[in-house]
Amino acid sequence: MSLERLKKAVFHPTKSDLEIVIFLYLPLVFILLGFVLPLLSTILSARGWEVFRDKYYLDLSWDAFSNIVEYKTIRNKIIITVKGFDLGVIGNSIVNAVLVTLTATLLGSSVAVLVGFYRFRGRRIFAALAYVPLLMAPFVNAYIIQRFVNPTLGYNTLSYIISKFFTEPLLGKTVIISFKNQAGVFLAQVLMFYPIVYINTLAALAAIDATLVEQALNLGARGFKLLRKIVLPLIVPGILAGSTLVFILSLEDVGGPIIFKYHKFISYEVYQSVAYQATQEIAKVASLSLIMLVAALTPLVVARQYLSLRYYARLARGAPRPFYGLKLGSKGYVLAYLIVLPIIMAAAIPQFGIIVLAFSERWVGALPDLLPADKLFTNFEALLSIEGIRRSILNSLYYLGQAIVFIAVLGFMAGYATARARLPGATLLDTLTSTPLAIPGLVVAFSYFVFFSKHNLGGFFDPQNVPYGVVHLLVLAYVMRRIPFTVRSVFTSVIQTPEELEEAARSLGSRRFRVLARIVLPLTWRGLIAGILLSSIYVLAEVSVSVTIGALGGDIYSSDHLGPITFALLQLTTMTTLVGGTQPQAKAAALAVLLMILEATVITISSRLARRGQALITV
Amino acid sequence: MATAIEVENVVKRFGQTIALRGVSLEIREGELFAILGPSGCGKTTLLRIIAGFEVPDSGRVYLKGKDVTNVPPDKRGTVMVFQNWALWPHMTVYENVAFGLRLRKLPEAEIRRKVLQTLEMLGLRGLENRFPSQLSGGQQQRVALARALVVEPEVLLLDEPLSNLDAKLRLRLRGELKQLQKKLGITMVYVTHDQEEAMSLADRIALMRNGLIEQVGSPSTLYKKPKTLFTAAFLGRTSLLLGKVMDAGDDKVLVRAGEIDIVAQNHGLQKGEGAAVVIKAEGARMEPHKGRETVKIRGTVTVSMYVGAFVEVRVRIPGSKYEVMLDLPLDTPAPGPGQEVEFYVPLDNIHAYPIEEDVIKEIAEQA
Ligand SMILES: Nc1ncnc2c1ncn2[C@@H]1O[C@H](COP(=O)(O)OP(=O)(O)O)[C@@H](O)[C@H]1O
Ligand SMILES: [Mg+2]
Repeated sequence: MSLERLKKAVFHPTKSDLEIVIFLYLPLVFILLGFVLPLLSTILSARGWEVFRDKYYLDLSWDAFSNIVEYKTIRNKIIITVKGFDLGVIGNSIVNAVLVTLTATLLGSSVAVLVGFYRFRGRRIFAALAYVPLLMAPFVNAYIIQRFVNPTLGYNTLSYIISKFFTEPLLGKTVIISFKNQAGVFLAQVLMFYPIVYINTLAALAAIDATLVEQALNLGARGFKLLRKIVLPLIVPGILAGSTLVFILSLEDVGGPIIFKYHKFISYEVYQSVAYQATQEIAKVASLSLIMLVAALTPLVVARQYLSLRYYARLARGAPRPFYGLKLGSKGYVLAYLIVLPIIMAAAIPQFGIIVLAFSERWVGALPDLLPADKLFTNFEALLSIEGIRRSILNSLYYLGQAIVFIAVLGFMAGYATARARLPGATLLDTLTSTPLAIPGLVVAFSYFVFFSKHNLGGFFDPQNVPYGVVHLLVLAYVMRRIPFTVRSVFTSVIQTPEELEEAARSLGSRRFRVLARIVLPLTWRGLIAGILLSSIYVLAEVSVSVTIGALGGDIYSSDHLGPITFALLQLTTMTTLVGGTQPQAKAAALAVLLMILEATVITISSRLARRGQALITV
Repeated sequence: MATAIEVENVVKRFGQTIALRGVSLEIREGELFAILGPSGCGKTTLLRIIAGFEVPDSGRVYLKGKDVTNVPPDKRGTVMVFQNWALWPHMTVYENVAFGLRLRKLPEAEIRRKVLQTLEMLGLRGLENRFPSQLSGGQQQRVALARALVVEPEVLLLDEPLSNLDAKLRLRLRGELKQLQKKLGITMVYVTHDQEEAMSLADRIALMRNGLIEQVGSPSTLYKKPKTLFTAAFLGRTSLLLGKVMDAGDDKVLVRAGEIDIVAQNHGLQKGEGAAVVIKAEGARMEPHKGRETVKIRGTVTVSMYVGAFVEVRVRIPGSKYEVMLDLPLDTPAPGPGQEVEFYVPLDNIHAYPIEEDVIKEIAEQA
């Protein structure tokens, strides 16, 4: 029967309406061919299962835990080196992601409950500080954390603070504490990703209707019991949405492994196979990608009764009358200021560190060396004067300009069709437009690289075809990975507009095309623009594809490389010298500041557009 | 009169729910046709199928004899007025009303003339530049009507257009609507769950239940000659009691309910069967009617109260759990609670049918 309807719809377009058919099937075909096909065909060809027998990839012996912490004393120096475990590439990726997720969930949700459910002095400061880590500054943020906790020669910043302010004056001893290897990556990821749980939980809290809580208070529920019985069940979907996302981000993160120079992670293996075109390893890397993909999807499948993928990219509506908070008791104050505030501040370190570094010459010792007042903007000037960096900014804008056209048009079509079409394929489109959010970007990058090396429409998408093939692939990847934000945003706006408004016009004799132009667009443009803005910002901050496929056009020493901003950030943070006096990392920080300013602006505009009472739930 | 709309054996499912189970209808040109029924019975679905917003799973729809089953709504010439009026919030009253005319590519002067004329007709002059949010409920309703009427549709479909208004306004607009329809002579299909509205407005009514049409006819036919138990029980203020057929003729039947026997019009009952008796409250007296066959009902009064134009009494039938609701004229001295009294009800107002469990359950739920 539905097949008949499909036939009717497609072959008698004058009888049905052609517009909805196009709106539904054009994006559907586009995603099937441009995303699903390359991914499936690559991933399903995985054959390199020897990775499970190789100790480098998987080591489940007790040796794995033999080196977690080293402790030495040399005269009055206490040297503590935390290295974490080594379970091999696969084991590290998965166990590290689990630990990062658990820690981030615990931190993020407790901070959110404190800030979102209690009233206390300084709550606004807590809340504002907790948003800071959401500003994405790939690689540079990990670099700042690395500066704080990693170097063993001399002081790192953390050891400096501990020794100078506590142990030296009090005990006469110097403490050098250093996080390396898996432990370093773990720490960096927790600090980078815990705000995702925080913000999702906070949004779920904001959607709780005050009457619910007041009812419980009336019935005598207090304190922990109130939280556990009433509040927790209501925010579980928010927490889960955040933590499943953290899990995926941890799995696909290459910033941590690269910056902490510890490469035994799946993400790094996949990254280097594409960025350095290690084509002989394809069978093995395909297997690793498949493992990463399965691992990333597992929590989603397990938690699916509590959340749908849509949850990630939506703008949540606040409660009709949100709860304004319980008064925090004195024990709570102690907890808030002694434990929670330091955590929030620690998580904001990278962003503040980046700002400081952007105005510094270098950061080699415990503290950065600020630039003299008359040369304060040296690093920012370098962004324009050094050709390779300027090129990366122009590249980003050029790719964005192309991607955004597709994202806007296809995203609007798909968002409208998923809300309105009652044709076969509508649910499939709904699922497919959310799926890219759950697919690790490196899996996309690797699949594209392999698939389009073979099938590339006469070189149009060929990654070896520099520059055009690379450019087209990058744009395609950006469209696919970032279209969900626009689709969800449009979908939400359309759903909130009663369908009768469209039907009234239809029944007066208006074709759907005119209905779209005169009724739908005027009523949903805010959602469309908000979605496009969000998609744009995530295009600019995209890492996985940018540093792999984006690396195929050469590095930033050359003036006509193809890498976007995030690629430049990676290269600047990992290189040792570059013209212009200051450390390359300081220039990276300046570039990151630029990116963060853009992000802050866009996120502000976008949540304004999405109207009152709505909170942004996403990364 | 010629047929304006014909619906033939239409079935419509939504997943597990069957909204329409095989509906056939003929609506004549120029008539005001009401589709009446309890909420959820499929009225809106039927209207939306006529309008082209839903395609039936099987069955056909004809407009003026032309098969339009698969024709999209914009090519049908039927115009719909929605329950929530669906005024476009980003357009002024003028723009809302002009929308349909613009589609027809009329010259701007012509559009202006027609819009203003229609607004005038509906008492909306002076509100052209307001946005819908700046109007009262009644005004919004009229704008919705104006927007539909201005294109001079052959068929106007209205889905509970007055249900979002307060009672007084509803009454007034009901009258205006009827006048307008007669004046313009357009075919109107009017969906409502309010029997009073249907009775007072419609030339003919289709009474629906559970995805099927129970009976089609003029308001008085449906009221006086209900063919089914549901039709009898749904229209008017009615009571239902169950009993057993003691004796059955072609026209009349004697039913024992509790300890009393009641004569009723027979709708296919045989001696010895269980019977469902519907008694309309209207027309009851304390003494036999002159020149009209009446039926005696004995029982104990449990409640007696003034309800505007009449006194409502509830009478418990001896030896049963049933209560019968009866309306007595104001001039009779009303009996008080506890009194055992005899009442007389016109035979026209008592109907007996074979027992249909699902109908009885549905009626009980609505009472
Ligand atoms: N779009 C739909 N999807 C699912 N079920 C529907 C839909 N429209 C109507 N129904 C169901 O079909 C039945 C009839 O609905 P409707 O035609 O709206 O009844 P009415 O207008 O008489 O109240 C109801 O059970 C309703 O829940
Ligand atoms: Mg309805």
